[in-house]
Amino acid sequence: MIPSDHFVRFYNEVFKFLDAQGGLAKYYQTISAHQEFHCLKAFSENGLQGVYDYYQKIYKEENCVGHTILKGHELELYMGKCPSLSKALDNDAGACPKYCMHCPGWTQPLYTKAGLFQIYDLMGLDNPQCCEWIFDDIEAARAKYRKLLEDHKKEELLINFEP
Amino acid sequence: MLRYQENNELHRDFHGTTNMTLDYIAENYGVDALKEILRKTGRDVYKSIHDKLAAGDSSELLEHLNWFYHREGAKYSLTVSDDEIRMEVFECPAHKHLKKLGLPISKYSCLQTSEVNAGMCEGTPWESTVEICGEGHCIQTFRRKKEDKA
Repeated sequence: MIPSDHFVRFYNEVFKFLDAQGGLAKYYQTISAHQEFHCLKAFSENGLQGVYDYYQKIYKEENCVGHTILKGHELELYMGKCPSLSKALDNDAGACPKYCMHCPGWTQPLYTKAGLFQIYDLMGLDNPQCCEWIFDDIEAARAKYRKLLEDHKKEELLINFEP
Repeated sequence: MLRYQENNELHRDFHGTTNMTLDYIAENYGVDALKEILRKTGRDVYKSIHDKLAAGDSSELLEHLNWFYHREGAKYSLTVSDDEIRMEVFECPAHKHLKKLGLPISKYSCLQTSEVNAGMCEGTPWESTVEICGEGHCIQTFRRKKEDKA
């Protein structure tokens, strides 16, 4: 058994293998489909509140340092110290340079399926910090995106909607 | 002393993602590719355990087995001598959690154990075996190779 504590470091080895095979994008879709089992019903039926509730559990169980703020049509998920990338970096096997990409890779299709809109700022692939904003209203998402573009480059922000 | 100190909350749903990933790699890239990833995990991620085994020191391996199976709430027994570590796991915590979630257990699930353990031992005076005794029940053995005992 790979202990659940060490899953991340196994995952990291899987990413290295798949990256060398050009197979990351297809794998992200499979993770996303798997995560539907855990999340899709709650996200689809309860909207942002469902996402908020899911991440309350995740922040606790995965020992995240950050905050979740739900206000109106916006949910902000800020990760001040991502435990996942932190473990991949604290690793004698070394981190996959694309490690962070799995997160938007599986969440974006899931939010899209749940009718939610996401803006993702990864804040650098070797930095265990990131922030995402999720919306249940397309105009609120577009307004936030325009606001964020005032101090972000377009390529720094990943989105799942037409701006 | 453990290289990776883990002592706070557990996210057991990771067993589900591991389970799905075992199937994904085996079905898309073959069982040999899966074995290589698992062996590399054993050898390189657990480099500290591997290097100690290479030097004849099984202390971190023993601590690793005891701590992480204990943390996962496993029922197990450990029998230790100078030349052998024998761990009998009566109910695999990963399988237990997958059953709780209602997810089918990958037919490659036990390769996690056999290949990661083999990776830890690769190129060292130690060798490992895993005997599957039943669903979620196995005996993991780490044994100093005979030629190395002399």
